[in-house]
Order: sequence, then C-alpha cells, then structure tokens
Amino acid sequence: MHDFAALEGRGVIAAFLASTQFVVAADAQARALGYREVPSVFVPHPIQDRTDEEMRALADAALEEVLAAVTRR
Amino acid sequence: MRGVSVSTELRAEVDLPTDGFVAVVKQDCPTCRLVEPVLAALPQVTVFSQDDPAFPEGVADRRDDTDLDASLALDIETVPTLVRFAGGVEQGRVVGWSREQWAELTGVAEIGADLPEYRPGCGSRTQDPDVAEEILVRTRGGSLRSRRLEIAALEDEVEALYDRGFSDGLPVVPPTPARVLRMLDGTSRRPDEVVAVVPPNLVEATVEKVAVNAVLAGCRPEYLPVVLAAVEAACTDEFNAHGLLATTWGAGPAVVVNGPVRAEIGMNWAGNALGQGNRANSTIGRALQLVIRNVGGGRPQEVDRAAMGHPGKVGFCFAEDEEGSPFEPLAQSRGVAPGRSAVTVFAAEGPRGIVDQISRRPESLARSLALGLRGVCHPKLVRGFDATLVVCPEHARVFAEAGWDRARLEAALDEALLLDRAEITRGAGGIDEGVPAGDSDRPLAKFRPGGLMIVHAGGGAGMFSAVIGGWAGGPGGSAPVTREVDPWR
Repeated sequence: MHDFAALEGRGVIAAFLASTQFVVAADAQARALGYREVPSVFVPHPIQDRTDEEMRALADAALEEVLAAVTRR
Repeated sequence: MRGVSVSTELRAEVDLPTDGFVAVVKQDCPTCRLVEPVLAALPQVTVFSQDDPAFPEGVADRRDDTDLDASLALDIETVPTLVRFAGGVEQGRVVGWSREQWAELTGVAEIGADLPEYRPGCGSRTQDPDVAEEILVRTRGGSLRSRRLEIAALEDEVEALYDRGFSDGLPVVPPTPARVLRMLDGTSRRPDEVVAVVPPNLVEATVEKVAVNAVLAGCRPEYLPVVLAAVEAACTDEFNAHGLLATTWGAGPAVVVNGPVRAEIGMNWAGNALGQGNRANSTIGRALQLVIRNVGGGRPQEVDRAAMGHPGKVGFCFAEDEEGSPFEPLAQSRGVAPGRSAVTVFAAEGPRGIVDQISRRPESLARSLALGLRGVCHPKLVRGFDATLVVCPEHARVFAEAGWDRARLEAALDEALLLDRAEITRGAGGIDEGVPAGDSDRPLAKFRPGGLMIVHAGGGAGMFSAVIGGWAGGPGGSAPVTREVDPWR
C-alpha cells in the first residue's frame, strides 16, 4: 500500500494487487495512509505454492479487473 | 507594593513583593510556631502558610499557600525559610531558625532575643511524598504533548486501556502524566525530540511517545535509553521493521543488550537468559513492540500478517554474558567501542534448544550446533533466512579451552553448513520442497555471509545452546542493526 501511495505521489497511475487473504491488511494500511478507497484487485489465495502455469492463469483472470482499476476515474 | 510575577508552571503565577521579606511556614512545624512572634514583629514581611491559612497570628500580610504555588516558585525545601528581596531580586535567604542568621538577614540585632540560639526547620510541604506526584505534574506536566485520555471515575483504568486498544493482550501500566514524567527522567533528551519514524503507518515517535509506551510496558526510567536505542535501531531501512511486521512469517524484533548498561539496570544473562522473570529483559522488548503497535499502528489481524507468530512477539530482549564469554562481545564485533553500551535488534522466531552433552572437541561441537542451525527456515532451503546462535556457557567452555574465538567458530559453522546439493534439491528425500535443481554440484552455504550471529548467554549448568531462527536476510528482508545506548541517556 505504501508502494501504491509512493507511485501515486509521483503521478504514476497505480492499483493495489494482492491475494484475498490481505483484504483486511490492505484496508487497515489504506486507512492509516488517509485513503478512503484504493483501487484494488484481490486474486484467489494461495500464491506461494502455485506453479508458473497457475500463476499465469491467475494473472489472466485478473487482467480485466486490473485494467479497470487503473483506468477508473 | 508592586509584585514580581514568578511562574511555577505556565498557568500558575505568584505575586511576590519586590522589596522586603518573604517567609514560608507551616503550622505543623514546631520551629515555624517558635518564630511566629518574630514574624509578627518583623516590618515589611509577607508570610506564605503551606497548611493553615490562619497561621501565623499577628502578621498583616499573610497569604494562603496551601496550593504550594509560592513555595514552588521560591523553590522552598525547608520551613521556615526567610527570603529578602530588593528591587525584585533575591538578596539572601535563611533556612530554619538561627538567631544570628536571622539578625544578619533582617538587620534587626535583637531579633528573637527570648528564643533559643538555633532550631532546625522542617521539610517543606513541597517535599511530602503525598504531594510529590501532583507537584511533578504541576511543575513539568506542561512539557507533555500527548493527547490526554479521560478515564471515568467508575472505569477500571487497566480495563479502559484494553478497551482503547493499547494492550498487546497483557495488562499495561496506565501512563499517567506523573509516570510519564518520571520515565522521562531516564533520559536527558527533550520529550519532543523525534526518535524514529515508526512503521507501518510511518508515524514520528517522539521521546515522549516512547516514554509513554515504556510506562505501558512496565519499564523503569533507567531502561528508557535502552528502549530508545532499540526503537532507533528497529526503525531503520536495514532492519526493515515494516517488512518484518507485514510478512506472513512469524518472526518479530528481538533485542540483545551489550555493555555496562546491562548490569546498571539489572538485566539477566545467566540462568533462563531468554526466559521470563527479569523486569528489564521482559519490559524492554515489550516496550519496543508497543511502540510499533501504538505509535506505528502495527497490529495483528491488520498489517501484522504472521501466520503463526510466537510468544516472544510480546517482547524479546536479553543481555549477552560478556564476562564469561570466550568471544568478543557481540557489540564490539559489530563496531562498538569497548566500554560502550549498545543494542542489536534482529529478526527472531522463538528459540529452540540444541542438546550436545558429549562433544568435548570444538570441531565436534561446532558440527553439532551446525546441525541444529540447519533446520532454520527448512532443512532443505539455503540462504533464505538469517539466524542467531546463543552459545551456552558449558558449550562456550569447550571453545574457550581450545582457544577458539568468534571468527574461528563462525568459520567452522560455515564449513559445516555447506550443504550437499543432492540432499536438498526439490524432490530429494521424497520431499517436494527444496532448492531448485542447478547445473552445478557445488555445495550450497546455508546462510548468506553475515547471516549468522553468535551470542553468549545462559546458565552455568546445561549443555544446551539455542538457535533463534530469523527471517529473510539482507536487502528486501531484515539485517541485524546495532545502535549505541549512551547517546540516549
């Protein structure tokens, strides 16, 4: 979330991306940084034990949402 | 008579005469009662009474000082005290009753002719223990900037602090202004000085905020410089307290203390060195964690994402046994001059014991300890995590007798921790976890260079050292950080 804030601060359009296990953490950190809402995409957990193919599939499945998050006004 | 204003605190101002005498007395003091007629006969005297506003009789300008403002403004320690002012400036003072001194200060040669030559005074009310706390807050409370919490009369203050989220799960000591002010006596630093920017919310922690959390944790004021140094060390990019907090791995910050401060504040480095029972050991580490929680906003179920965590995340702090060690003290090995006190913070899981009650050769013992270290992170993974080895005195003896220093032991451990690729490749031993298959057959080092730290501590009986697993070492992870304590005194 700090990365999101740093990128936004530099004028780089960004979105927050994590697995569903991090919804609460993301919300706590976003609130602490003063955001009411951060464009976020949460992909299904787990991540660490995924094969490369499974990771690509996850990324493909999330692409539309990611694009929407970074283009939403 | 125009008055001089003397401030005891921002809110309290006392009018004192610019010329003449000021006496401070209390009815409860036999010497004050003895000088009652002397004061009544003295021209141009203002008398402040600390207890009975109707005392002493016969004095025209008698003032109620039961709130002790004038006594504090005049810095009275004993009653009676007689002070002479001229042009708004104190010309001199006499404490207690001494006919000679009173005569000299007042210029009245025959003063108190029927009184004894000398009687000592009594303690000023400002010195009474029952008002000490209130006076401390009145005289110095204005220096505190923290938001004041109102606790209702019927509220239990410990429960109230739980309800407001300031506790790590154990009871905390209510940080009243008096307690925080006494804690601040542990350092010469100003309360508003910024110690560090605390993650995850990147909030500036002032000396005062650290003191508040040191009170919550149960610290004594003399521990405060150690806590301040630990906060400074933990909030560095190298230590990366933010990453350590946010990782799903369960390690937390631990603190090793070196130097004279260990003994000065009564730390334990002997039996049960890593355990409970010593106030300094138990509360310093807790204070650091409470700073991260209450200042930085780092709380479990929020940004603290540890899947497991461990009991030492309440606070993990111990001291190195330097005196009985065959090794150079940890702080010195990390660049701190001898005789100086320092903290080293490192990422720590809970400790795990390693038994070796047979090895009397250092080579054998080093291999034995290396075997215990191999389990850090996973026995089949290398260069992932750092670790700390706490060598117990009975194991240290084996190294001492063989003339092994820290570097010799480090080298032997490094050698014993070169792992055979065939044993640790993914799939080896029927276990899918492990290092990816590579082109080379060269053995792999378990730890990154500098990723293994050695400390000496523990009880004199028991051939049981301890391994403390860490977290991802180096850039992107956490590296141990050492900071001196003395600059925070």
